[in-house]
Amino acid sequence: MERIVTVVPEDGLHARPASKFVETANEYDADVQLGRADTDDLAPAASMLAVTGLGVSAGEDVRLVAEGDDAEAVLDALEDILSTPEAEH
Amino acid sequence: MAERTLSGIGVTPLSGVGKVVWYRPDADLSDPPAPEDVDAENELARFDEARSVAEDELQAERARTAERVGEEEAAVFDAHVQFLNDPQITDGVTDAIEGGLPAEHAVQETFTGFVEQFESMGGRMGERADDLRDIRDRLVRVLSDGERVDLSSLPKGSVVVAERLTPSDTAQLDPKRVAGFVTVTGGRTSHAAIFARSLALPAIVGVGDELESIEDGTEVVVDGDAGDLIVNPDDDTKAAATAEADVHVRTGPAETADGVGIEVAANVGTLADLEPAVDRGADGIGLFRSEFLFLDRETPPDEDEQFDAYVDALESFEHGRVVVRTLDIGGDKPVPYLDLPEEENPFLGERGIRRSLGPDASLFETQIRALLRAAGSTDGTRLSVMLPLVTTLDELHEARERFESVASDLAEEGLAHEVPEFGIMIETPAAAFMADRFAPHVDFFSIGTNDLAQYVMAAERGNERVSELGDYRQPAVLHAIDATVAAADGHDCWVGMCGEMAGDPDLTELLVGLGLDELSMSAVTVPHVKAAVTETNTGDAEALAANVLAADTKDEVTNILTSDQ
Repeated sequence: MERIVTVVPEDGLHARPASKFVETANEYDADVQLGRADTDDLAPAASMLAVTGLGVSAGEDVRLVAEGDDAEAVLDALEDILSTPEAEH
Repeated sequence: MAERTLSGIGVTPLSGVGKVVWYRPDADLSDPPAPEDVDAENELARFDEARSVAEDELQAERARTAERVGEEEAAVFDAHVQFLNDPQITDGVTDAIEGGLPAEHAVQETFTGFVEQFESMGGRMGERADDLRDIRDRLVRVLSDGERVDLSSLPKGSVVVAERLTPSDTAQLDPKRVAGFVTVTGGRTSHAAIFARSLALPAIVGVGDELESIEDGTEVVVDGDAGDLIVNPDDDTKAAATAEADVHVRTGPAETADGVGIEVAANVGTLADLEPAVDRGADGIGLFRSEFLFLDRETPPDEDEQFDAYVDALESFEHGRVVVRTLDIGGDKPVPYLDLPEEENPFLGERGIRRSLGPDASLFETQIRALLRAAGSTDGTRLSVMLPLVTTLDELHEARERFESVASDLAEEGLAHEVPEFGIMIETPAAAFMADRFAPHVDFFSIGTNDLAQYVMAAERGNERVSELGDYRQPAVLHAIDATVAAADGHDCWVGMCGEMAGDPDLTELLVGLGLDELSMSAVTVPHVKAAVTETNTGDAEALAANVLAADTKDEVTNILTSDQ
């Protein structure tokens, strides 16, 4: 199961959004990978190192691929994180 | 020894005098033993144990940072925990141990590889490299039973000097003991700089390698405004810095040179901001952002929890006024227990008072109960309540009715309460245009310049491409402020301002000239604005305001303000 999502948080996949993303990916019973939408390379979503190492900025499209019992649920949750702007203070 | 100056980036407008204490987290390891002398199974167990100790430390520091600095800054520790448990890192360390390295050397080698990889990528990756270094040094310390340099109990008057300070290091610094800090690396937006501003600590970052030549115990002045580290300062320099530090804090109300009182208050975004606000001489709280009580949690705070927070704020300022803004939450701030709609344009959507009168009505009622009870529990006349994002009189009247109905409920229940001072934020063109109609129905206006500039200029705050337009020096914004003050004239309605503009001491004279009664800002600039108030003459200030209002462009405004100084 896969999905293309545009990254909204200003920081891209860094700092708090990345942290939340990885935490969420680890909460579900599914194997999730992600990469830039325009390449075939995929990295494990459960790894902070891999996720921040992609260096994805706001406005870029990423591809999420999930397999397992919770595949759809985890994709929903991750899409939610990627498409929610960071809290303003 | 002769006085000399090193330059870096000043991150707070504060000065401190003290003696250098070098902070070098000890990560030096002796050579590893021969691989055949290493018991891999034992080392793997030590690594697991060290990870669990490190995680406990991180959770404790997270909690401390959330309390002292804020939830947003504390979130950096979540990233650390995830790096700590990252499968790639754990696999790397495990491989290195199985290859014959003791655990601490395996950690050092594996992390350093990733640190270098991130550093070579440039940009934001530098911050991740710092995160990884922080975790590496923590794990190595735990594994080698290293003593932790306790930054929280340094001798009074220490100036901490370091290559870099990690968030966990900075969170330990106690502004009461530490006179400031200076780092080799870092920029204005680094974690250390953000912490320094929250804690009101004199600080300079990015001084460069030259800093390494300064020895422990050397006397220095940290000028966090100019970004200068003055080494071996002579008596005059020290006296000037100390005098500046003294000038910085004035307790008691500030008056202009010709005797007009201007209230200078602090904006408070978490309970941890209360102490610095008092320490920096704020007269009260001009903006208590009640959102922090609601964000980053799974359920809303109940009435008693809110009551305690409002009473804490009142008790921190025995004589001052505390202006609480009711919940200002909208589509742009995720709150798990609220059903916030997805909106095309969250800043123009269901936010602020619109939610409080609509979907969040029961949350609003609880907040009103807590506010009225807090007002009644202390000297109630000091609590003020203001509503965010008001655009119509209907909203004002409806909110007022809710306050009255809650007051009568509380009376029936026999609970002590008082109806507080009641005001609105002026942060939309609608509110500014209708200010003369609002004025008879409120006790005060508070002009929120960040949002007002955004809405008047139709230029989003966070968008760098239009930041020139969203500037509060734009004539249209200044006219909106002027119209608001004029509308309040003749009514029993004072006018305050909260937002960045109020905290800019270069604009204090203009704001006094425009007729503001109160200015509220982040604690760190309170003394500067108070000093600027005392140097202002209202006649001159009014002339300046008239000149500025006659300007056609932002550049003209800026020129008038600069030539005035």
